[in-house]
Amino acid sequence: MDPSRIRNFCIIAHIDHGKSTLADRLIQSSGAVSDREMKEQLLDSMDLERERGITIKASAVTLDVDLDGQPYMFNLIDTPGHVDFHYEVSRALAACEGALLVVDATQGVQAQTVANAYAAVGADLHIIPVVNKIDLPGAMPEDTAIEVEHVLGIDTGHVQFVSAKSGIGIAELMRAIAKVLPPPTGSASEPLQGLVFDAIYDEYRGVICYVRVVNGTLRKGQKILLMGRQRHYYVTELGKLRPQMMPVDTLSVGEVGYVVANIKTLKDVTVGDTITDVNAPAATALPGYQPPQQMVFCDFYPAGGEDYSELREALEKLSLNDSSFTFEPEHSEALGFGFRCGFLGLLHMDIVQERLERECGVEVVQTAPSVTYEVLMTDGSVQRIDAAGDLPAPDKVEEIREPLVEVQMIVPADCVGNIMKLAEQRRGEYNRTEYLSTQRVMLTYMFPFNEILYDFYDKLKSLTRGYGTMDYHLSGYRSGELVKLDILVGGKAVDALSVIVHRSNAERRGRRVLQRLKEEIDRHLFEVVLQAAIGTKVIARESIKPLRKNVTAKCYGGDVTRKRKLLEKQKEGKKRMKTVGRVDIPQEAFMTVLEPEE
Amino acid sequence: MDRNQKELSRQSPVGSIYVHVPFCYALCGYCDFYKELYDRQSVSPLVDALLSELRREAAEHALRIMTIFVGGGTPTTLPIPELSRLLGALRDTVDLALREALEFTVEANPATVTTEVAATLVASGVNRVSIGAQSFQPGELLVLERTHQPPQVRQTIETCRAAGIDNINLDLIFGVPGQAIAGWRENLARTIELGPDHISAYALTYEHGTRLTRQLNAGRVQRCDPELEADMYSATIEDLSAAGYSQYEISNFARPGRECRHNLAYWRNEQYLGIGPSAAGYVAGERYKNVPNSAQYIEAIAGGRLPRIEREVLPPDQRAREAAMLALRLNEGLIFAEFAARHGQRAQDIFAHAIEKHVSLGLLRVEEGALRLTPTGRFVADSVVADFLA
Ligand SMILES: Nc1nc2c(ncn2[C@@H]2O[C@H](COP(=O)(O)OP(=O)(O)OP(=O)(O)O)[C@@H](O)[C@H]2O)c(=O)[nH]1
Ligand code: SF4
Ligand SMILES: [Mg+2]
Repeated sequence: MDPSRIRNFCIIAHIDHGKSTLADRLIQSSGAVSDREMKEQLLDSMDLERERGITIKASAVTLDVDLDGQPYMFNLIDTPGHVDFHYEVSRALAACEGALLVVDATQGVQAQTVANAYAAVGADLHIIPVVNKIDLPGAMPEDTAIEVEHVLGIDTGHVQFVSAKSGIGIAELMRAIAKVLPPPTGSASEPLQGLVFDAIYDEYRGVICYVRVVNGTLRKGQKILLMGRQRHYYVTELGKLRPQMMPVDTLSVGEVGYVVANIKTLKDVTVGDTITDVNAPAATALPGYQPPQQMVFCDFYPAGGEDYSELREALEKLSLNDSSFTFEPEHSEALGFGFRCGFLGLLHMDIVQERLERECGVEVVQTAPSVTYEVLMTDGSVQRIDAAGDLPAPDKVEEIREPLVEVQMIVPADCVGNIMKLAEQRRGEYNRTEYLSTQRVMLTYMFPFNEILYDFYDKLKSLTRGYGTMDYHLSGYRSGELVKLDILVGGKAVDALSVIVHRSNAERRGRRVLQRLKEEIDRHLFEVVLQAAIGTKVIARESIKPLRKNVTAKCYGGDVTRKRKLLEKQKEGKKRMKTVGRVDIPQEAFMTVLEPEE
Repeated sequence: MDRNQKELSRQSPVGSIYVHVPFCYALCGYCDFYKELYDRQSVSPLVDALLSELRREAAEHALRIMTIFVGGGTPTTLPIPELSRLLGALRDTVDLALREALEFTVEANPATVTTEVAATLVASGVNRVSIGAQSFQPGELLVLERTHQPPQVRQTIETCRAAGIDNINLDLIFGVPGQAIAGWRENLARTIELGPDHISAYALTYEHGTRLTRQLNAGRVQRCDPELEADMYSATIEDLSAAGYSQYEISNFARPGRECRHNLAYWRNEQYLGIGPSAAGYVAGERYKNVPNSAQYIEAIAGGRLPRIEREVLPPDQRAREAAMLALRLNEGLIFAEFAARHGQRAQDIFAHAIEKHVSLGLLRVEEGALRLTPTGRFVADSVVADFLA
């Protein structure tokens, strides 16, 4: 297709503002999918996406559009809104000239609206603001448009008012896309440069790369070079996503499609790499991407009867189609052999764990997630550690630095006081306040990442009647009064329960963990002493009184087998626990260190 | 001698019989024994089947019956002719020379023992009656859905004694929702006052699938606090021993010489026949259980099939473990010499680990050539015993 007729754009927004639903409407009005095949959030094809109602992976689709007799090709990429998957958005941005910035007219600009809009501006994209859900009774389309202009500084001259659900305004939006967004600028005569903006794994065809042709032409049978990896392949299949894969012979300049080239595993491709022609290579590669950064780490250990090698196989299998988590062998004194895994965030961690269970049938015991700390050693070297158990001996440590995040919170103006109190409790440093309107405020804070990792978002929601939203990004490290809090069960330190905490919080945190452990650990035949300690100093103590009575009275009229089975079952229950010394600790207990003070 | 007889002579004789009579006048919410509402039509076919199973088992195995226990259900719901037919057949399994020494128990609910019933029991050789008293508080009886009134316990005892049955057991339940320690001690005092020979005191258990458990799950009744339950158990041991009832098993107390020999046979891992729907038996190394359903039971018997739902021949190792599990419930404990003679292995060796652990925790002790629960150990017997089960 003539590049002047091509529009490449992504759809970006805060979570749930209707990106995927808008993609549905665009797909439908192009006629790419028949009404019969149409379903809600068609591009959310993973089971988990459909069940959770969120987009996890970006998806691309090519639409042939006829606008007043003029043919156009739209290549759109639907992106996830959740902060954990922000890197998916940045990948998509690099493959596009334009972006539809969707804003829910009942909610206005929210934290990820801001983050994603800035990302799009930073990538030099042309932006069409799309005010969505105008069908809803509470919609305030004009106010929302003003907010976009005022808060984000985005020109709203071409703002579109739509209902992605009912279809209002979709035709106008499509015209605006053609009119306002620029066509791709590459040249067909230049050497081939194709940007690999995503890659998936297919059991039968191996790796499938999603490619945006920036210059030149990509052909079936062509011998290509992945410039970053310096590896050669033959293009065995080439096609467009409509949204099913539809083979074609060429992808010309400005187009988006997929490439199959006998690439065995995702490890062989770097997303962001440039494809060129081996025989007429481009002089330089395209800029590419930062690799996704794992933000939180936790250990997975095989639960119950499952073994280590099963868990390894399952993790390897999952990493075939999710290359954004990492795993390395790990050994814990308390929990045995397992893996230290890194994730983009807690949602990502949850999803990986759920997929392990559902797709691989493997159950795991999971330790509390930790952020990555930098440890300055007395010899001047710096170590990065992502579990309290890895902290070197205190006499070797000069200082511990914790990761900081800049956090944007958008909250109702009358909630600011409460939020500030919460921020103070979490060692937040106030940065600035911006008024989005008279009723809504954006607060910017700097927080130790650890302090907002776990339940901060829930707290924010509950302090703002559900209206508050937040976004964060990593913003360096800073030395802090950090200590390792050890938890001792029956006098033995349980490595998997150790956490790094701020000294001022240590005692409160320790008490709370002990209380929760006391609830989780069953009574034993002996007293179980629980202690929280910093180094050798015990800062909190609890005890679980011994079990006083456990005896079934009846002998079931001589039904000895039944009696035996009951007792055996009682014993079976214990097998699903991890035993430290003489104490049986249930799996749930390993998460208790996460739960901060009431 | 034919082959069958040869085998019979090799096998040590069975000493006990349990018979299950699955009828009750009303069904108590906590009860998970197999039972059905009494219905006159169902009685004769069931008694026929019981007798038929009994005959068959008697022919299969060498018997030297010392104890018989007829439980249920409520055996005393049977009409007099049927009751007498059943009990008579049972007594006929006993060698004449042993009848004097026989312990022949029938379970009864208060208010089901009339003078005629008592006379029938005596005429059939029954010499022990076990009465489901459970409580002397009308409120608690209501929670348990027992239909009798407290004074009927005394009347029942008097009726039995008047007929010549001088060995009486009362069953009691503690840990009833709403029960306080004082209320329980009151129950113990009322029991002692009645002077039974034997007392079984059970903690209420919430069995799977019972109405009471459903009420518990729905939040309509509240489970007794475990600390309180432990206190009640403690009070039981204290008050009953002060009144001359010594504890000989976790839940059983008796005047000297009045221990229930039938139950002792279970705990000493002896053989017994189980007759009737849901009855369990242990013969020739095999543990079995009959179908817990009268219609299926009758059908199996009529078709000449064994009415079994479970059969398990225990490997020697399992057998030894079960023997330990049972023996430890008794105050006499696991007697080392006897154990070694019977299982060909020393308990001190196979259970070395468990013994060491629990002796060091003060829950078991070794004395007089036996392994016994300590008074503290008795409170957590299940936890201790679990470590003997592999
Ligand atoms: N009433 C109304 N509801 C809408 C409209 N657009 C989307 N929705 C609803 O809003 C919810 C979220 O829509 P999605 O399309 O999944 O939102 P998303 O932005 O893709 O969400 P993430 O991918 O998780 O970030 C769904 O329940 C949609 O049905 C609209 O125009 N009107
Ligand atoms: S407790 Fe006794 S009387 Fe009540 S239903 Fe059970 S067997 Fe029948
Ligand atoms: Mg979506």
